[in-house]
Amino acid sequence: MDSRQIRIALTGNPNSGKTTIFNHLTGTRQKVGNWPGVTVEKKEGDIEKFGCQLKIVDLPGTYSLTPFSIEEIVARDYILEDRPDVVIDIIDASNLERSLYLANQLRELDCKVIFALNMADLARSRGYKIDGEKLSELLGVPVVFTVGNKKEGLDELLKTAVEYAESGTGIPESRKVRYSKDIEKAISEVREELESRIGPDFPYNRRWTAVKLLEDDTIIKQRLEKLLGTDSAQVLEKAQQLRDKLADLFHEEPEIVMTDERYGFIAGILKEVVTTSSRRRVDISRNIDLVLTNRFLGFPIFIFFIWAMFQITFTVGAYPMAWLDAGISALSSGVDALLPPGVFESFLLEGVIAGVGSVIIFLPNIVLLFFCIALFEDTGYMARAAFLMDRIMHLIGLHGKSFIPMLMGFGCNVPAIMATRALESRKDRILTVLITPFMSCSARLPVYIVLAGTFFAAYAGTVIFLLYLSGVVVAIVTGRLFRVILLKGEDAPFVMELPPYRLPMLKSLLIHMWDRSKMFLKKMGGVILVGSIIIWVLSAYPKAIDYSVDYGARMDQVHAEYAEKIASAPAAEARKLEEERTARIADLRRAKRIEHAEKSYLGRIGRFVSPVFEPIGMDWRGSVAILTGFVAKEVVVSTMGVLYAAEGDAESDALHRALRNSGMTSLAALSMMVFVLLYLPCLATVAVINRETGTRWMILSVVYTTAIAWLAAFFIYQGGRLLMA
Amino acid sequence: MGNIHTHERRQFEKLFDQEEIDCLQQRLAILDAFLQTEQHVTADELTDILKKQGQGFEKPFVEETLELMRRYGFAQKNRFENGQARYEHRHLGDHHDHMICTKCNRIIEFEDSRLENLQQEIARSYGFHMLQHRMEIYGICDRCLKDRMKKMPLTAAKIGERVVIRELTGGSSSRLRLMSMGLRVNDELEVITNYGQGQMVVAAGNQRYVLGRGLARKIIVEPYSQASPSGSKDSAP
Repeated sequence: MDSRQIRIALTGNPNSGKTTIFNHLTGTRQKVGNWPGVTVEKKEGDIEKFGCQLKIVDLPGTYSLTPFSIEEIVARDYILEDRPDVVIDIIDASNLERSLYLANQLRELDCKVIFALNMADLARSRGYKIDGEKLSELLGVPVVFTVGNKKEGLDELLKTAVEYAESGTGIPESRKVRYSKDIEKAISEVREELESRIGPDFPYNRRWTAVKLLEDDTIIKQRLEKLLGTDSAQVLEKAQQLRDKLADLFHEEPEIVMTDERYGFIAGILKEVVTTSSRRRVDISRNIDLVLTNRFLGFPIFIFFIWAMFQITFTVGAYPMAWLDAGISALSSGVDALLPPGVFESFLLEGVIAGVGSVIIFLPNIVLLFFCIALFEDTGYMARAAFLMDRIMHLIGLHGKSFIPMLMGFGCNVPAIMATRALESRKDRILTVLITPFMSCSARLPVYIVLAGTFFAAYAGTVIFLLYLSGVVVAIVTGRLFRVILLKGEDAPFVMELPPYRLPMLKSLLIHMWDRSKMFLKKMGGVILVGSIIIWVLSAYPKAIDYSVDYGARMDQVHAEYAEKIASAPAAEARKLEEERTARIADLRRAKRIEHAEKSYLGRIGRFVSPVFEPIGMDWRGSVAILTGFVAKEVVVSTMGVLYAAEGDAESDALHRALRNSGMTSLAALSMMVFVLLYLPCLATVAVINRETGTRWMILSVVYTTAIAWLAAFFIYQGGRLLMA
Repeated sequence: MGNIHTHERRQFEKLFDQEEIDCLQQRLAILDAFLQTEQHVTADELTDILKKQGQGFEKPFVEETLELMRRYGFAQKNRFENGQARYEHRHLGDHHDHMICTKCNRIIEFEDSRLENLQQEIARSYGFHMLQHRMEIYGICDRCLKDRMKKMPLTAAKIGERVVIRELTGGSSSRLRLMSMGLRVNDELEVITNYGQGQMVVAAGNQRYVLGRGLARKIIVEPYSQASPSGSKDSAP
């Protein structure tokens, strides 16, 4: 069989159903990566069909190929530089006019384009009838009708793509957009100037390059400078002259005139291929929007949805959490039973299983939260939420869109920071990345549950809610501050299309949910595993510890003492004595463990850094717990488990009791919770911040969050002490 | 027409004589030919006309004479779109003052004897000998003003109001962006939400858009009811 590889790029307007088609074409065989050099998600999928290896690349959804945003640059660059064999343009048939704008830009680029007229059923119900054959004939492009969400026409689409890729034909010159006389003249003049200076290996279509130069496309100008060196000067100068001339002639920038003319060309085509019946259905989406974005109703409904989301996340999530917890316990006892006691067993139980286990139980919460967020996104509600939040976000000087990553931050900061990619302005992105870690992620919740549960028993719920709220307030204040000092806003003109409301499809919901949950799992597999092992090593070593008491001898002593007593005592009393003995032994064991922890490397580090944490009310154990929380904030709880209770698992009453007995005050507990809320994001988040914004911003984020956390905790602890005194 | 031209010719003769300008006779021939044209001519075209009448003048000489006439207010020079200078003679005898609309370029002629007398008086008080004068008031005519009052930024439209986009102002990149997203001049919009501050939502066809206030302010619209699809678009000359 022929195993030729064909590269197919999918492009189209946002909301044209491109992602649905991509999901159906590639299913689960998707690879999510990055476009080189920029932080725009790149999705690829390899499939085998018609005896060919098809590599399908999902380009970012764009309205045009004019480089306004990173997405447009990425999409255009891929087509220009990587030269896919076929480009499939997914066209929203119910919005043909606008879709054809991008489609015509693709045609001008001289690549092999196929039009997928998607959602043709919707177009029909709206009273448009499209003559696909005529369209194909007029534009010289294969046209396939598809209904993405019903999987209709997808096989034919791929078949056409393969055939088209293997045929030698492109778009005939005569079918391309013709501009008015003066512009055409200018194009050919630039083209001549260009052709006199370039070799046969010039990578771009010449006419297209000339058009772009007349449009003053900065990226193409730069490319030309790179390709031609000093020769480019004359070409650019010529283009500039002609631009000025055209601007004088039309009283308008040439790019605007050309856009108008492209639409003119499109209008001509529409006249030929579309018949509109007078039947017009009520636009349901519009009516829903009248309610959901209503001045008075919009916000309460929004709050309700968010409330429902958290309810589902935490109440429904509690069940699988319990199962996972049970599973982990079973696993540890299984390992305990199977393996002989020793370093390896201890490593596996206390290092790997305890460390990763304490984190993995949050998976249900996170999966559910991301499921809800995917639901918001796929139904189209998220865009409305962003609109509703816009006014609040403006307090920080951000657009409503920044709210989406912040909302995700309640689940896990890692995918949240990745989600800032949807923001167009780089400054907005950085600002959002800097404030997102203040959204209290689900990893911080167990810390609150343990501490608030122990010290504020009856008011634990309120305390936790206030903590979440404080995070949001700190985020807003920080945003405001950074906006004024560091990231002075260029208030970019903002326009966003509201996607139509759609019934979500389970498959795409699951794919969305899984994409993000995967990031959480990856973090667990990598960072947290390594971190847990390091903590275990630090707390287990050095093995040879110079104990203040010879515990072994003490235990022997106790054994001997009781053996004597039990032997001489009557049967009824013997049982009681036996219990007493066990308790004393356990006490000794615990004391030994605590001393071990204190004298381990971890304990030494804790003692070393504890002066820093003393003013905020934490002893060396708290300090160590906080330090280890850098690996992942969940780890704070398990470290406390090791350092305070030393027996039983972290969630148990033992820890509560031990904490109360440790001399920790409720004020210190509050101070610690606030510190955990605010201090530096976990290792995985830091790594993501570094990747998304660069080292300087990452360092700023680490230093700033920690400083704020310390100051806030300091004021709470010292202020509280003053008040109580 | 004839006597107006004679009047102008006489004035010209008198003036050029006073100013001791050379080649008076040739220049008067050019003046005659110029006065007979009734539209804008370029120096080239006038040279051709003169050549057809059997009077061969060099183009630079014709150009110089036209410039002289312009300097003394007999001709008006216009540079139209292609940048070529065209000349038009001014009817000095048949005097009117003008109001010129900068929007639609309509010219309204008016005459007021009080104004004329006042000008004479002022010139006299300065000891100034007035040969002629030109009075042009630039502004916006009543028709355009009426159109303009209907126009408003999109931000001023109320919830539920249907409007038509009349103009996209602002930089070319934000205009291009709106255009490529499908918001163009003459498109019909319905305002879905407008809280009086912050972003607003509009519907265009089956699409809905969120617009930042800054951008919405740059979209000039007109209420739908009065507007025909391309009704009062600027009618450039």
